[in-house]
Amino acid sequence: MKNLKYIIAFIAMAIMASCKQDAYYLFNDTARIQFGPDISFLYNPEASLRDTVKPHTFYYDNATVQQDTVFYDIYAIGGTSKNDRAFKLVQEQVPNAANAIAGDHFVAFDNSIVNKYYVIKAGSIHTRVPVIVLRHPDLKKKTVILKFNVVANDSFQPGEISNIWRKTEITDRLIKPLAWRAGYGKYSVAKQEFMIAVTGERWDQLFITTLALDMESYYMGTLKIALADYNNSHPGNPLKDEDGDLVVFP
Amino acid sequence: MQKKMKQIYILLFCGMAILFASCKKDQGNYNYKAAEEISVEGLESTYTLVSEKDRITLDPKVTCTDPQAELEYMWGIYETNAQGAPPVLDTIGRTKAIDYLIKRAPKDWILVLRVTNKHTGYSKYLNSTLTIITEFTRGWYVAKDDGAQTDLDLFLTPVSIVPQGKRENIFSAVNGAKIDGRAKLLTYVSNYRSTVTGVLGATKTLFVTTDKDVSAIYISTLKQIRNMDNLFLGATPTKAPNAMFAGASANYLINDGKLYGLGVVEFNNGLFGAPKMKDAANPPYHLSDYFLYGARVESVLFDDLSSSFLAMSQGTASTMNGMSDEIRPGTETGMPANNNNKKMLFMGFKSSVPTGAPDNRDRVTGYAVFQDKTDPTLKILSKVEPYRTNIFLTNDILKTTDKLFNATDYALLVEDENVLYFVSDNQVWSRNLSNKVEKLEFTPPSGEQLTFIRHKKYTETNYSFNYVMVATRSGDNYKVRMFNKSSGSISGNPVFTLEGKGTVRDVTYISPAVGEFTYTHSY
Repeated sequence: MKNLKYIIAFIAMAIMASCKQDAYYLFNDTARIQFGPDISFLYNPEASLRDTVKPHTFYYDNATVQQDTVFYDIYAIGGTSKNDRAFKLVQEQVPNAANAIAGDHFVAFDNSIVNKYYVIKAGSIHTRVPVIVLRHPDLKKKTVILKFNVVANDSFQPGEISNIWRKTEITDRLIKPLAWRAGYGKYSVAKQEFMIAVTGERWDQLFITTLALDMESYYMGTLKIALADYNNSHPGNPLKDEDGDLVVFP
Repeated sequence: MQKKMKQIYILLFCGMAILFASCKKDQGNYNYKAAEEISVEGLESTYTLVSEKDRITLDPKVTCTDPQAELEYMWGIYETNAQGAPPVLDTIGRTKAIDYLIKRAPKDWILVLRVTNKHTGYSKYLNSTLTIITEFTRGWYVAKDDGAQTDLDLFLTPVSIVPQGKRENIFSAVNGAKIDGRAKLLTYVSNYRSTVTGVLGATKTLFVTTDKDVSAIYISTLKQIRNMDNLFLGATPTKAPNAMFAGASANYLINDGKLYGLGVVEFNNGLFGAPKMKDAANPPYHLSDYFLYGARVESVLFDDLSSSFLAMSQGTASTMNGMSDEIRPGTETGMPANNNNKKMLFMGFKSSVPTGAPDNRDRVTGYAVFQDKTDPTLKILSKVEPYRTNIFLTNDILKTTDKLFNATDYALLVEDENVLYFVSDNQVWSRNLSNKVEKLEFTPPSGEQLTFIRHKKYTETNYSFNYVMVATRSGDNYKVRMFNKSSGSISGNPVFTLEGKGTVRDVTYISPAVGEFTYTHSY
């Protein structure tokens, strides 16, 4: 009986001890920094993982364009400061992927061309982070991944693990826009090239996200007609994509 | 033993504690008085008013069961059919009696009366529909042309279906120009989308189809909303309209032999998208002017190139459906639905019968006149019975001696006697579709040329009619004679005759009660 009492007491204590809440950062310890969505989405919890990956292609640019800038939003946590506070970015090598090479595909984060912008200004908690991407000739044939993290330095400790990284995919080919809709069917470069040729539109992120529903349905109708006409004029050789699959608009 | 008792006491104590806690005294506030009632008399469910002319003059009788009632009143108006925005209530009065000059866009509004008892806080709401009309929302519309340009004449019907007064060339008077081309067809729908009333919404629209243009006209102001220059999302195709009509959950335009659709349910701005393909391989096709519309079923079309029937089931699908021959035991279709080597001279809607559950569709019957492409002396009158994507044809091969053989215009008695009217040798004839008997119905006075015949019927208190409309032209002048009929034949003199200038191609009657399926869509 006595043993039983001890056992019950032990179990009760064990149960209570196990109910400790996961310790979130309280952000009152030290200044931290992390990426976030565009400032207009800052207080929208559903948008907290927005903009983590921003594909970039030079496909639409004319040949004189040799570099471009991809912007991300970064936020200091723990209040403002009277002084400018620099933060530090470091590339992370993604295993089993074509990682971007500094100097070839992007301007290195410690290069003074960009690193002077990696600063949270005095009195501010937000800045836009420019990443300069370069048009290397090999991007005609491949897509490279640039993943980078914000790391601890004199001014900041990193913030939440889920928000300390950002990624871009850099290429000089067409690339599946994030907004690509199920209604367009399987994505392929061949299909997107066909859509661009028929409609004269880019079918990139900006175009798709601002496309009105009735225009979208008009374009789909137009594309189906154009595809049928293409296949009719190439008997035995219908339009196929880079994987060898037939291009189809559902 | 003592230890055990102690445990039992502890248990009992716990049990009692729970029992005590559960015994909460009921402090309910019950009121057995009869519910308060406010009753209002003297408010109709609908009012039809002319904007800027009529007043809402009301003084309802209001009673309340609360003897200490202190009643407050609020009158307001809000618009129905606002799409994409909540309607806004506009307060127009705070007294029991109201005398308010109505100034609203012509469409349906809701008049709200709120009676509040300040003593109890209880409110009662009453709604009436306010149908705001203009001079243009009721009357006979005549589509007529001078051979090159089309205009509308409006015959006003203030008290009955018989016109009193007219507005000649009213389209060009309002819009400053006539519609290009020769008039073909009038089509009225209430669900076409535009922003003419301020917000994107269903708009009561009269479409005038000519051989060169389609004009969408807002019936309340007769202002042109769009024409073929801005009726499409993409580039304007060759302007060669065949027909405009309403079908099941879509409005359709046939232009240059191609079909365009606007889904009624799907979001659109009233602009037609890409043309429909005949099938996924996009073979060439060229649709006839003629169609069999269905309010709850596929619309049936005819491809003049391949001499094949096609069906269109939804406004938004990118392809039409092919049609197959319906198999009926013991009998065979009169000719194949596909590749039958015929040219369609006419097809019109005759009747439709609901199938009931579980299909809940309609069986539509139409009639068509065909001419063989190889042997022009072979002409056939076909009963056309589509169902889903099957079709059954019952053929009546015309004799060269039949008056119908040389007919130039046709009109079926829609949902009435089993008779087809037609024009032959500048005379109006009828053909009994059951026994093939042909009968002379009307010979115009000398000098008058027949230009149009059609049957229309309509039901509304003081405005009902069931007419065979016969239009003639003599020099620059037209006459549209409105005949009653008896047992399928024209009876007596015209009830009235519309007269004006030009060549008449279509006539319709519009009122606030008319919608897209009031009349059948048909040539």
